[in-house]
Amino acid sequence: MSNIIEMKNICKSFGRTEVLHNIDFAVAEGEVVVIIGPSGSGKSTLIRCINCLEMISSGELIVDTIRIPAEQSRIRQIRLEVGMVFQQFNLFPHMSALENVAFGPRKARGMKVSEAEPVALDLLDKVGLADFKDKLPGQLSGGQQQRVAIARALAVNPRVMLFDEPTSALDPEMIGEVLDVMKNIAKDSGMTMVVVTHEMGFASQVGDRLIFMDDGRIIEEGKPGEVMKNPTSDRLKDFLSHVKHH
Amino acid sequence: MDFEFSVIVESLPMLFEGAKLTWVITLAGIGGGMVIGILAGLGRIAGTPYLGDEPHGIFIPVSVLTRYLSAGFVEGIRGTPIIVQAMFLYFAFPMLVRALFTIDQFRMEALTAAVITIMINAGAYIAEIVRGSVISVHKGLIEAGLSLGISRFQLIAHVIGPIAIRRMIPPLGNQFIISLKDTSLFIVIGVGELTRQGQEIMASNFRALEIWLTVAIIYLLMTSVLAMTLRHFERKMKIF
Ligand SMILES: Nc1ncnc2c1ncn2[C@@H]1O[C@H](COP(=O)(O)OP(=O)(O)OP(=O)(O)O)[C@@H](O)[C@H]1O
Ligand SMILES: [Mg+2]
Repeated sequence: MSNIIEMKNICKSFGRTEVLHNIDFAVAEGEVVVIIGPSGSGKSTLIRCINCLEMISSGELIVDTIRIPAEQSRIRQIRLEVGMVFQQFNLFPHMSALENVAFGPRKARGMKVSEAEPVALDLLDKVGLADFKDKLPGQLSGGQQQRVAIARALAVNPRVMLFDEPTSALDPEMIGEVLDVMKNIAKDSGMTMVVVTHEMGFASQVGDRLIFMDDGRIIEEGKPGEVMKNPTSDRLKDFLSHVKHH
Repeated sequence: MDFEFSVIVESLPMLFEGAKLTWVITLAGIGGGMVIGILAGLGRIAGTPYLGDEPHGIFIPVSVLTRYLSAGFVEGIRGTPIIVQAMFLYFAFPMLVRALFTIDQFRMEALTAAVITIMINAGAYIAEIVRGSVISVHKGLIEAGLSLGISRFQLIAHVIGPIAIRRMIPPLGNQFIISLKDTSLFIVIGVGELTRQGQEIMASNFRALEIWLTVAIIYLLMTSVLAMTLRHFERKMKIF
């Protein structure tokens, strides 16, 4: 299987503080990678570097065939290939659910409204929200908003989906509905996914690979079940004992 | 002291002429001021994350220059009295043009000077309103837009703009009213707007009470129209 994302010796600094140290990381087409790690370990920064919401400070990023920093003018093409779902949903508050989902196809892919709306409606249906198409984000629950946000990212027809703690801002009873949608995407469409989450059940059921980060480095990686059962580093043992208690 | 109602009736035609001119200066001035304000307001945050991706290549120095020019314009205008700006534009600017470019006949109509003064003065304040509203747009929404692969122009037109505009309306209403009242200062360059007309009637009949009361009421009516128009816009917008 070929790699759709490759990071070679990447460092990322904010001002003088380096928060990612010499990361080597690759994701194969169709793979589901789950990233865990304590707060501040650089999980968000790592996946935000993939779609260039953060610019890498050194090293090389290759998405599909596009190389960063050499081809910095092609960032938009990377973003068409890589969708993202955020912890805080970030739906456009002035657009209905349908308009939110149709926005990407219309503006980024240049579709007409008449072409984009059926695509959007189909995706809203897939995430179980066709009946809510005319609601504004403010009229939806957190779980519903996040499902619309997933549909919005999928609507651009990306080859990779990034999820940054998609269920962390949700009330417990809504976490399941969002995870179910994510499981379906992984299973049905064989989507390549990079997921930052502390939902260990999701990691072991859906994940092909689990990555543990600490202090801006990848400390351990492997099959989710094995990594969780036999953590080698003390830091991961410690981290897992904390996660399990929640 | 007696109050003659007939004085008011007799002065109305002249005062309405002045009010008409006040409207013309105000509307042309805030129209141009909006264009200047949007450009200078966005210019002041060009190349910052408030407007999407950080620039690269040639756009780095271009955005720095844009920021400095916009900031210089805003601070220069905000830091000087509008009456000095009007005097400069009407008396000093034509002299400069004549001297520098040896155009002997160059002069500036008082009305033109008045309209341009309101444009640049309102423009500087509107720039700050635009900038303030744009930087108040939640960063996550900008990132959500960028992550879909849209251009900077689309981001500003469809995400940042519509959200920022709602926050601009109350302070814009305030600025429009200030600009309308500022037109009364053009009495100093001899534009026949409302205050000037009042002054001239006063000079001929010495009926200060009737005239200034009427002038004040006409200003109040005009500012009320501005305020109500903006409130109407505000109500028409989708609430979220
Ligand atoms: N824009 C920024 N400017 C400065 N420092 C930043 C910025 N973003 C992140 N950092 C720092 O980088 C480090 C990694 O942050 P990051 O958000 O990637 O961690 P995380 O693993 O996602 O944490 P969390 O679980 O809390 O989301 C932290 O020390 C954080 O303070
Ligand atoms: Mg994070």
